[in-house]
Amino acid sequence: MADDAYRQWLAELDAESRRKQQAFLERLAAKLGRPRVTEPPPHPFRGAPDFWKEYELSPEERIARFIANFQAAGGHAFRLSGLEEAARFIADRARELGVSAVIRQDEPLLAGLGLESLLSGVEVRVWNDDPAEDWIARAAGAGLGVILADFAVAHTASIVTLSARGKGRSVSLLPPALAAIVPTGRLYTRLGEVLSRFDETGREALPAGIHFISGPSRSADIENDLTIGVHGPGIVYALIVDM
Amino acid sequence: MMKVSLFITCLCDAFYPRVGEAMVRLLARHGIRTDFPSAQTCCGQPAFNSGYWEEARAAARTLLDAFGDSDFVVSPSGSCVHMLHRYRELFRDDPAALARAEELCGKTYEFAQFFVDVLGIDDLGAKFPHKVTYPPSCHGSRLLGVRDEPERLLRNVAGLELVPLPYAEDCCGFGGTFSVKMSDISGAMVAEKADHVLETEAEVLTGSDMGCLMNIGGHLRHRGRPLRVLHLAELLYEGVSGA
Amino acid sequence: MSAAETAAKTVKQRAEKALRDDFLRQAVRFTTDRLRSARLQAAQDQGNWEAWRERGRQIRSHTIAHLDYYLNQFAENARANGAHVHFAETAEEAVRIVQAIAERKGARAVAKSKSMVTEELHLNKALEDIGVQAIETDLGEYIIQLAGETPSHIIIPSIHKTRRQVADLLSREAGEELPTDTPSLAAFVRRRLREVFLTADIGMTGCNFAIAETGSIVVFENEGNARMVSTVPKTQITLMGMERIIPTWADLEVMATLLPRSATGQRLTVYMSGISGPRRPGDGDGPEELHIVIVDNGRSLQLGDPEFQELLNCIRCGACLNVCPVYRHIGGHAYGGTYTGPIGAVLKPAFRKNVAEWDDVADASSLCGACAEACPVKIPLHDMLVSLRRRKVEAGYAKRPEALAMKTYAAVMGDAGRLKRALRLGRLALKPFARDGVIRARIGPLAGWTRHRVFPAPAGEPFRERWASLQRELERELAPAAPVVRQRLEEALRRRKRSRETEGGAKRNGG
Repeated sequence: MADDAYRQWLAELDAESRRKQQAFLERLAAKLGRPRVTEPPPHPFRGAPDFWKEYELSPEERIARFIANFQAAGGHAFRLSGLEEAARFIADRARELGVSAVIRQDEPLLAGLGLESLLSGVEVRVWNDDPAEDWIARAAGAGLGVILADFAVAHTASIVTLSARGKGRSVSLLPPALAAIVPTGRLYTRLGEVLSRFDETGREALPAGIHFISGPSRSADIENDLTIGVHGPGIVYALIVDM
Repeated sequence: MMKVSLFITCLCDAFYPRVGEAMVRLLARHGIRTDFPSAQTCCGQPAFNSGYWEEARAAARTLLDAFGDSDFVVSPSGSCVHMLHRYRELFRDDPAALARAEELCGKTYEFAQFFVDVLGIDDLGAKFPHKVTYPPSCHGSRLLGVRDEPERLLRNVAGLELVPLPYAEDCCGFGGTFSVKMSDISGAMVAEKADHVLETEAEVLTGSDMGCLMNIGGHLRHRGRPLRVLHLAELLYEGVSGA
Repeated sequence: MSAAETAAKTVKQRAEKALRDDFLRQAVRFTTDRLRSARLQAAQDQGNWEAWRERGRQIRSHTIAHLDYYLNQFAENARANGAHVHFAETAEEAVRIVQAIAERKGARAVAKSKSMVTEELHLNKALEDIGVQAIETDLGEYIIQLAGETPSHIIIPSIHKTRRQVADLLSREAGEELPTDTPSLAAFVRRRLREVFLTADIGMTGCNFAIAETGSIVVFENEGNARMVSTVPKTQITLMGMERIIPTWADLEVMATLLPRSATGQRLTVYMSGISGPRRPGDGDGPEELHIVIVDNGRSLQLGDPEFQELLNCIRCGACLNVCPVYRHIGGHAYGGTYTGPIGAVLKPAFRKNVAEWDDVADASSLCGACAEACPVKIPLHDMLVSLRRRKVEAGYAKRPEALAMKTYAAVMGDAGRLKRALRLGRLALKPFARDGVIRARIGPLAGWTRHRVFPAPAGEPFRERWASLQRELERELAPAAPVVRQRLEEALRRRKRSRETEGGAKRNGG
């Protein structure tokens, strides 16, 4: 009942907003001294300057650059031989950190890590494998989150993760530690190489959340003193792996 | 022969005629006869900066009249020369004056700029065996673009030890009427500037704008730590004439 | 500083107070030094910084010049993503919309990440007025919220607080004495705010850039709290200044290159998040309902105004604050508004139509131009300050004594003969006050000067009177012109003639 009343109110609010939108935009056009622009205006200065678009590192250079920049930001980055080594690495860290639960994205590749068997006594949760659960709470209770990077960028040392049914944003946010597997084939040189894809694939294909993660959470708000791990994970591992 | 005119500035006219004299004599040593069109009064900056453009125009017009026939106009102040470039805004509603202003901009040079960029001379054969520090003029360096010319002239002075000034690019707090209107803020700025000057242990403070030098030198003296203060032209003239 | 306090005084008065606060000045100096050199290093590392700045300016100017188009595109796309988009011309409208949503949702707590727009709207107070608690979750904002204060710096809002003060505030909140080391204090905040994130009814964010092409909102941050408030609560409200928009994701690369480097010297903030609508069906987190409130509140006043339209290019990086020598000495609160430093000195008056409401904030500048030099999108803030001063004078709000002084100035400087006489009079008038060539007396308009400096005694013989005898002396001294000197002068004349002939190219020195 209350729900219907709310939905009704929201629909009215939306209709009102649409009406206000026209008046609002008319007013802006008037201030700009011309009628409303309704066709896409020519946009000659789109994106980065041309010289930048030519900047390209070799795959090996990308890895080296990513590792250097990620460490400089306070993260831990390693080049590993393969998924097996990555799995062992993650399991070792989980044990070191003394976590009681690990949460991972629901990704076949991550399932292939076999963390369940490597970590006895530690619960390995799979995001959203049971829609009845409160997954935010489950992520909050985990000591380590594990994700598979959708993309990565060498220049800014960024891991990129896109939300989806099996890939909750909470996995890379709520636990105090994060391990991200970064396939070398998904590592680009420039930020723009990843960003342009979102223009190309278009609005409908976009997930609700696109997250660039470039190190551990930090703040210097108390007397300029740097502190790590304020709200997001304070310990971040980027594991670069050939697939 | 070409008409090289002096734009002396109201400050040098009233308080520091020796600066104008030094500049004139240095030019004379290079065979350049100068003239002083006496119709000039002030570039109009004090009024312009405070928002009194009508009043600024009254002063500015005397410069348009004074230098109409000149081939070159030379001034010992980067700040005042920069002001001429603001005549584009000051006279935007007066096309005739605007045209004359454009013409004036194209032929007016700051002292160091004239020697180094126009005459191609950065070594005046001067000798000045003292420890010297040089705060750049904000308007001269940032806005007019005269950045390395003064330093080049100083580096070629025999025996001169140029000590870099910490926080050189920070404004000394003169800003014309600002120094009187917001006197306590200005006082705080000049106090810090003076601290840095004293840190250098220089014997002589030089500069390209008497406004800045009047401010910093005036504060040092007020503080009981007087330093010898010389405009760059005065320093160079002393260096070549022994006067 | 309370709102009543800041509203009552002038910048001059607030500045006087700030100048007496040694800790504040030391903290501001330390912070701005650090950020300033970090920016320079980052710009150098990136290389071709001027090219990036110019591209940034181009993209922002283009967007603002077509703001109606891009806002419309954004709104349509955001709605298509499932978001609710609202337009607010005034602060009151924006506040009403947010209050209405909160009320309808029966919200008790709103978890907020950093948003300067919400400060502008005094939104926290408006929510409290209807019984909704708005909790800041950005560490610096949280600290000053506990202190009941406003931010003093766009990027690091709590730089005016000592560690001791922070520890006291947090200890009071914790109900126990906390150790004063940063990790302990941060750990408390993490624990406390974690509870807030998990229980808040509404998450509220700002918006660094809205992407018109796909109806997405992009948020830059280092702590993770913006991600938290846009992931955990069931409802999200995003406040967006209407000018915070760019056409495409490709353009975001330019902003992502300029903003973090200009703000803190980072290559990129730890988190850069693109939110395109509420959660998708089947998603396990993210808001179920997303509202975007697009706010005008004085921004549209700049459109169509050639002197101020570029003001809307601002990407709120704070670089201008870090290089401003005035901000360095007086800190943020002296500016008496939401926005501080050079950008604040311009925004505060420019966002208000009524010149009568303008205070003296635009006077708190020596026009050194450091801000314009540092601005990643090349906003000529120093020129805008002069324009503001001029508009105040033209609107008839000049202070009488100053206006009179300027009239005298115009009378004297309007004619060289009058100037000559005035110089003589001035010399005579000041003679009694001069000792050893300087004046220290605190008389009339000089008082502001002589409080901190000695004033030079006027020269016995002004240059214009000395000229005749100097000229005679020079006749004797004049050296023959070296041929190279003559050549250079002739060459300069030729170059000038050529550039004038190719007109259009005669706009030099950044017209």
